[in-house]
Amino acid sequence: MRRGALAAAAVVTGLSLALAGCAEEEPTPGAQDTGDGSGQTTGGEQDPVKMGVVLDITGAGASLGVPERNTIEMLAEQVNADGGIGGRELEVLIEDNQSTEDGAARAASKLIQSEEVDILLGASRTGPSLAMRPIAEQAQIPMISLAANQAIIDGSEWVFKTAQNDHVVIERIIDDMAAKGYQRIAIARDASGFGEGVAEAFAEIGADEGIEVVTTEKFAPDATDFTAQMVNIRDADADAVVIWGIPPAASLAQVAYRQLGIEAPVYQSHGIGNQVFLDTAGDAADGLLAPLGRMVVADQLPQDDPQKEVVTQFIEDYEAAYGETPSTFAGHAYDGFMIAVNAIEEVGTDPNDLRDAIENVTDWPGVSGVFTMTPEDHSGLTKEALVLVTVEDGAWQIADGAE
Amino acid sequence: MSDLLQLVFSGLAQGAVYGLVALGFVAIFSVREMVNLAQGEYAALAGLSAITAVASGVPLLLAVLLVVPLVVLVSVLLERLFIAPVKHMTPLVSIILTLGISTALKAVMLLAWGPQARGLPAFPGRDLFVGGISIRSQELWILGVAAVVGAAVVWFYEHTLYGKALRACAEQPVAARLVGISPRTATMVAFAIAGFVGAVAGVVGSPIYFSSWEYGLTLGLKGFVAATLGGLVSLRVAMFGGLILGVLENLVAGYVDTGFRDAVAFLVLVLVLVVRPQGLVLKASGVRV
Repeated sequence: MRRGALAAAAVVTGLSLALAGCAEEEPTPGAQDTGDGSGQTTGGEQDPVKMGVVLDITGAGASLGVPERNTIEMLAEQVNADGGIGGRELEVLIEDNQSTEDGAARAASKLIQSEEVDILLGASRTGPSLAMRPIAEQAQIPMISLAANQAIIDGSEWVFKTAQNDHVVIERIIDDMAAKGYQRIAIARDASGFGEGVAEAFAEIGADEGIEVVTTEKFAPDATDFTAQMVNIRDADADAVVIWGIPPAASLAQVAYRQLGIEAPVYQSHGIGNQVFLDTAGDAADGLLAPLGRMVVADQLPQDDPQKEVVTQFIEDYEAAYGETPSTFAGHAYDGFMIAVNAIEEVGTDPNDLRDAIENVTDWPGVSGVFTMTPEDHSGLTKEALVLVTVEDGAWQIADGAE
Repeated sequence: MSDLLQLVFSGLAQGAVYGLVALGFVAIFSVREMVNLAQGEYAALAGLSAITAVASGVPLLLAVLLVVPLVVLVSVLLERLFIAPVKHMTPLVSIILTLGISTALKAVMLLAWGPQARGLPAFPGRDLFVGGISIRSQELWILGVAAVVGAAVVWFYEHTLYGKALRACAEQPVAARLVGISPRTATMVAFAIAGFVGAVAGVVGSPIYFSSWEYGLTLGLKGFVAATLGGLVSLRVAMFGGLILGVLENLVAGYVDTGFRDAVAFLVLVLVLVVRPQGLVLKASGVRV
């Protein structure tokens, strides 16, 4: 009896694990934000513009996906309240990919095939974005990812993205390291798509400055204990350490790092630009350096900064709507959404025209930076879009010597 | 050397949390032969509730003292509502039923707290640095609380009349009823204990390992693996199984590859089921506990 019970338990536990691994079907407030649209659709014969959005709303990417969803819902409401896009109502369909690659691919296929969306936004992180890329390309629908890794857009005709390229971020970090004379660096990176290729890129870009990567550790985005990685980092005895991840993992890694009493300065990536990181890392965050978008230090920007106005307005709107400060990820969503809406306003919803219009975006001040897209560069941001910030008493500060 | 000690020590702290969850599995299995897959959810629920309480201004220790009985109540209520009405409970039915409860609890937590992981503030105390290893005061809290709670549960089951009566229900349900032990009450008490250890695991672990709506699943599975080391009936082995699992995970992560950390538990599970399905300590025909 007991043996049978145990075996059965094992089987079903395994099953539940598999279930959890591939799809947790709990409905998220997926928000089919169609706006009220009452009296707005003046051109009665015209169909609404359909925007498909795939975000990491639950799972490891939740700290990114939730503010992104909030942003897009808020902006869609604004657009429809102003009479839609060129008189057409904007219909936004938001899907949760549960921070999984297969979830993102499924959601993208569904949005393109069943809903016949005109444009695709998402996903929040690199892995799911990469899973969506071939689907958008095959359907020849423009897609704007909100994630970082350059692989999302490299050589693609149809895919754009609004988060700063990780290469640009790495260049920014290397610049600072070179200026301070650090030579031996250690890296602890996210084991998923966001961290893929990061160590190699540091080695490649750093080589010119004589910077060498002495050790690389990985952590799962949903890991809870970082002692093992940080012990190995401590043993590497590097001049500086890079932690490349998103909260909560990036926060836990930061805490474990301080806990082990490692003295070397820490650089974090642009994956930490939100209040969640500051809340969860607490005191351990003090003194770290990270290249982030200007939004986190909006109040410290000079008046003549081209982004000052758009960033300030966005923060004001977001705070009014949700009662909290938006993260840089919310900013990526703002940029993706606005680039899409501006392009549709300009040329309508023909996929080829739309693609060309996005590719022609020039000197457009967004929240993450000033965008200039070209056929070769579908990210549109240079390292000028980033400012090196530090953390003091739980708040972002422009670091000394930056700008 | 200090690396090894560091890995072992933080593994012990993590393992103590697994051990507490494992106690919950055993507490129920040794009374009613059923597996409660919602065990990990108690920890997540306790952690999230405590975080909300602290955020609304309740002092940390008071929040913890309020949250633990709350989760015990939830556990007992779940038993009354969903387990008690089932006439013929087999292990398989219990698994499917509690898997459903676990999924429902997760959905409720997702709706109530949103998808983001958060942590409780650390309990009072100072972090130490001894002989090259860093010891967080919270890790000492975890180990201390786990030791006290573990000892109390073992003492209750093995040395009190009530505890013995509970175990009698699983051994000989009919005979137990004949001598006046109510299986109904026994199951309720078992669920209360399971809720208690789960909640304690959730609140002491939250400052380091964080809490989120989905965190109960992994924790529950790790606890289940620890419990199988004791054949699901030995409290002591379940607790030590948790500690061993925590240390093993850390050693594998430190010396082999961090990617294998979560695989350790399932490798152990497969090995135990294939080689010694009755657990590490019992003979195949052995008596319980």
